[in-house]
Amino acid sequence: MRSVGVVVILAVAIALSISMLIARDAVTTKINTVRASTGNTISVSPKGFFGFNGGGTPLTTTQINGLLDLSNVTAVQESLSEQLKSTQTSLTSPTPVGSLGQQFGGFGGGSTTSGGATSGSATTTTFSIPIRVIGTNSPGTAVVGGANGGGTEKLTSGTAFSPTSKADVAIVGSTLATKNKLKVGSTFSAWGTKITVVGIFNAGSTFTDSNVLMPLATVQKLAAAANEVTSATVVVNNINNVASVDKAITKKLGSAADVTSTQATVQAQLAPLNSVKTISTYTLVGSVIGAAIILLLSMLMIVRERRREVGVLKALGAPNRSIITQFISESTTFTVMGAIVGFIGGIAVSSPITSALVSASGGSTSTASTGGFVRRFAGSGFTGGGSGFTPPAGAGPGGGSFHFGAFNNTVTQLHTSAGWSTLVFAFVAAIVIAALGSTVAAATIVRIRPAEVLRSE
Amino acid sequence: MLKVENLDKTFHTGAGDVRAVQNVTFDAKDGEVVAIIGASGSGKSTLLSLLGLLDAPDRGSIEIDGNQLANLDAAGRTRYRSTQVGFVFQQFNLIPNLTAKENVKLALEFAHWPKPDRDARAQAMLDMVGLDAGKADRRPAKLSGGEQQRVAIARAFAAQPQLILADEPTGSLDKSTGQKIISLLREAANQQNATVLVVTHDEKISQQADRRLEIDDGVLREIA
Repeated sequence: MRSVGVVVILAVAIALSISMLIARDAVTTKINTVRASTGNTISVSPKGFFGFNGGGTPLTTTQINGLLDLSNVTAVQESLSEQLKSTQTSLTSPTPVGSLGQQFGGFGGGSTTSGGATSGSATTTTFSIPIRVIGTNSPGTAVVGGANGGGTEKLTSGTAFSPTSKADVAIVGSTLATKNKLKVGSTFSAWGTKITVVGIFNAGSTFTDSNVLMPLATVQKLAAAANEVTSATVVVNNINNVASVDKAITKKLGSAADVTSTQATVQAQLAPLNSVKTISTYTLVGSVIGAAIILLLSMLMIVRERRREVGVLKALGAPNRSIITQFISESTTFTVMGAIVGFIGGIAVSSPITSALVSASGGSTSTASTGGFVRRFAGSGFTGGGSGFTPPAGAGPGGGSFHFGAFNNTVTQLHTSAGWSTLVFAFVAAIVIAALGSTVAAATIVRIRPAEVLRSE
Repeated sequence: MLKVENLDKTFHTGAGDVRAVQNVTFDAKDGEVVAIIGASGSGKSTLLSLLGLLDAPDRGSIEIDGNQLANLDAAGRTRYRSTQVGFVFQQFNLIPNLTAKENVKLALEFAHWPKPDRDARAQAMLDMVGLDAGKADRRPAKLSGGEQQRVAIARAFAAQPQLILADEPTGSLDKSTGQKIISLLREAANQQNATVLVVTHDEKISQQADRRLEIDDGVLREIA
């Protein structure tokens, strides 16, 4: 009966350990998933800059390049977004103006002509959508990696230009290329300069495929924007360092720039999950230690109760090793039985325990009102589309916007599961617990003197 | 042949030193049953502990067949107890979760008897002590006091030790059963050619021994 009691108590402690381990794993996985999905980049744009709507003073290449000196920064992608009015280029935008375009004809540039209307002196305004040109020093990423905010852009023909190129070359979007009958080797004019098409990309988005990518230095020169940068993406070596680099950039650039890291926002949202992780870690350690203490005390009690038996065995010539082995096998049996029952029980209760922990932690946070620990960022009002989380270099109207379209993770989506690692943990924990329990038993056994035990008869 | 010379043991207690065994010298032949009588606290159990190497003497020597035992290390004492000594206790002290036969086999295991021979040897010993057939597989709790003591004697003699130390072997038994146990010890001693030292305070029991020794305040003397 006492043995059953010991096994039951051990099983409860081990079940608690297992459920805490599973809860911890589930929360850790969720945290890592969310953090990984936000990427390891930081977006930098001029303070108050709102794309083509204006605002702010451009950053300089010197300022941006200085960010490479910061610890944990592996790369800085710079871009300069410009618009080519119809008077500045031979290209025609594939985007139809539409009635809204006419209504906002002056917005962002276009051309206005006075026509000699037959009906009198009325002036007719014609407007064409400007061509968006992005000067970048990382064409590879911009074109292939989805960092352009337009999803997955792929080079369909030609090649990308080098990051340091100063040539009058361009990679054009497929929609723009079709509209203007461009192919690799074709030329068009921009700012009065002949530009050669070296590649054509396709992103599957009409908006993005209407853009032109050119070397940063070329755009800075042609657009008379020497040394200017309208956005930059800082790549950090590790997701865990994003927050510190974010602070360092803010400190370095001061009031000149808006520094935006999704990590900082997400970190706040993840605070409740981190809290659950901490609680489950402490409980996990506590329950393993508790189980070890339970077994230790139980074995101590058993050895003391069987002191006479130990004395008799010694008197009969049993070596300490043999007696200790017997008690170790008993404590191992208790532990293994407790581990098996506890493992099954732990798996059974892990899901409700995890939910309870998460609910308890979430209730005290402001994010609870949003229906989840991780808010869904709908991205409304931002352009750039797609599902990428990487702060885009030049995405949106002027770059620097974020889109979190797929960011709909909520706590209720936490997935608890017990894999091999949990099983291995249960096994290792059982071994540790049994070893601890047996150690004390062994030490007590060694100290028992048969003469004293038998004399007390 | 057991030979004890000048054996001394003093316990240091809070109330002062207690000389439990003082300068004890005696010998006993193989197959001989020697009774040691004495009052409670006279030192007889301490003497048995010293002879069984459960305790170390402060001084003196213990020899069995010319082998000096008093200076053995812990491993040597353990080996000596498993092969050369058999214990019979007043409270039987069988292992409660083992059957009668398993208790006997335990002594054979400690004495490193060949594994295939243990079962037959244990059964032979239980037959020798007259345990009813069918009771070999019972646990001690299912046996009477007399039967338990028979099993304890079978266990003590199983590994063919040269010395049997019996501490009040009849103390927990009725007179009739006690007599039978003493007779059994005598027969076993003759059969196995082992020296048997029986500690008792029962005069009648002691009179069945070949020789009688009396211990008083740790001092041993031979009595008629």
